[in-house]
Amino acid sequence: MNFEKIKEAVTSIEMSKAMENRVKENIGKRKSVHMDFKRWIPVASAFAILLAIMMGIPYFNKDGELQVANFAITAYALSDDGKELNTTITSEQAAIELATNDRMGITGMGGDGGGYIFTDVMLKITGEQIESITYTMSHGKFVEDVTFTVEDVTFTSKKHPGAEWLRSEKIDFVISEPGSGVYEGIRNIGKTYTVTYNEQEKYKYTLAIPHDGNNVIVDDVIIKVNVTYIDGNSEQQDILVTQEENSVLLKLLK
Amino acid sequence: MTLQQVVWSTELDVEQMVDTYGNMLFRICLVLLSNEKDAEDVVQDTFITYLTKSPNFNDAEHEKAWLITIATNRCKNMRRYNIIRKHMDINDLQLYSKEDENYGLLDHLMRLPTKHKVVLLLHYVEGYKVDEIAKILTITTSAVKKRLQRGRELLRERYRKENENEF
Repeated sequence: MNFEKIKEAVTSIEMSKAMENRVKENIGKRKSVHMDFKRWIPVASAFAILLAIMMGIPYFNKDGELQVANFAITAYALSDDGKELNTTITSEQAAIELATNDRMGITGMGGDGGGYIFTDVMLKITGEQIESITYTMSHGKFVEDVTFTVEDVTFTSKKHPGAEWLRSEKIDFVISEPGSGVYEGIRNIGKTYTVTYNEQEKYKYTLAIPHDGNNVIVDDVIIKVNVTYIDGNSEQQDILVTQEENSVLLKLLK
Repeated sequence: MTLQQVVWSTELDVEQMVDTYGNMLFRICLVLLSNEKDAEDVVQDTFITYLTKSPNFNDAEHEKAWLITIATNRCKNMRRYNIIRKHMDINDLQLYSKEDENYGLLDHLMRLPTKHKVVLLLHYVEGYKVDEIAKILTITTSAVKKRLQRGRELLRERYRKENENEF
């Protein structure tokens, strides 16, 4: 058998003109939104006044009464240079602007696929006598960045090695640098999660918000923050997440 | 000057990029995935990764090897996680290959295990040497040699069986 014929056979394959045009068009579209498809981090400058941790934030409840919650919510993220930026969320809106990194090139591995703006925004609660916090998103989900190597994967199936492990780990997206042997994934935490007050630092869960295909948030997102105190009482505050041009806005609902 | 430099210096000439590397990547992806839609997706994703990551290349060969690495990794991932393996109908090949005398060979090639067909493609189609393939696929040179040898054996075997069946 003449193996040189492989070249002749394979090089006879060409994309159809329609496919070629489609690829060009799609790449052009993705590139054109590239500058908008960015991780979002808090910008400290405009909201420096809010940086101080505020205990007992006054807010209006649903009946219009002024109440004082005994905890403060802080949105935070790491900036590109590794510094942590914090913004305490109040009834005045806190803006979180676009940064320079992006997550283009992510490969969907199942689940509900793309359609999410992956922000770097995390939430933290400050208060006294707090036992646990439960966050619940009306739309979207909490996600966690994970890094793993092939050695970490438990091969449970000969037919589809790794697939079951990814599903069991709830890792929906995977990307890797060629030759690095290191994979970056995004773990789907879900719409809600509960964390004990003293272990907040262990859980680096960020917000993934559904968009309409053009990186515009489809609907306003409400995050319910329910705090349970050591004495068994609980309090709740709601955060409204909206979008304005290149910023995502977080504010407490009155 | 690599294509990347040309691309960025001319405000992103997507057309030029696809014209230069599109068919080369599509051929590899189609043979590896045996599915034209998946192949198209991988080609598209590879270019998007290229544009957004904008890595630095020493020369055009380095750039080409990088694109092949990205595309083959994507193909491997896609096959690994596709629960239902798909195989292209030989009749569909006429949409992408005008030479009908090649269909038999392409069909045999597409039915090989991915690890064998990727080394056959890189060696016989793209002209890479064993050590270059080892770098692109991040495997040892002896593994490349074994896969080449096994790939050739499998192709021979399939041709032999086909000929036997014809009689």
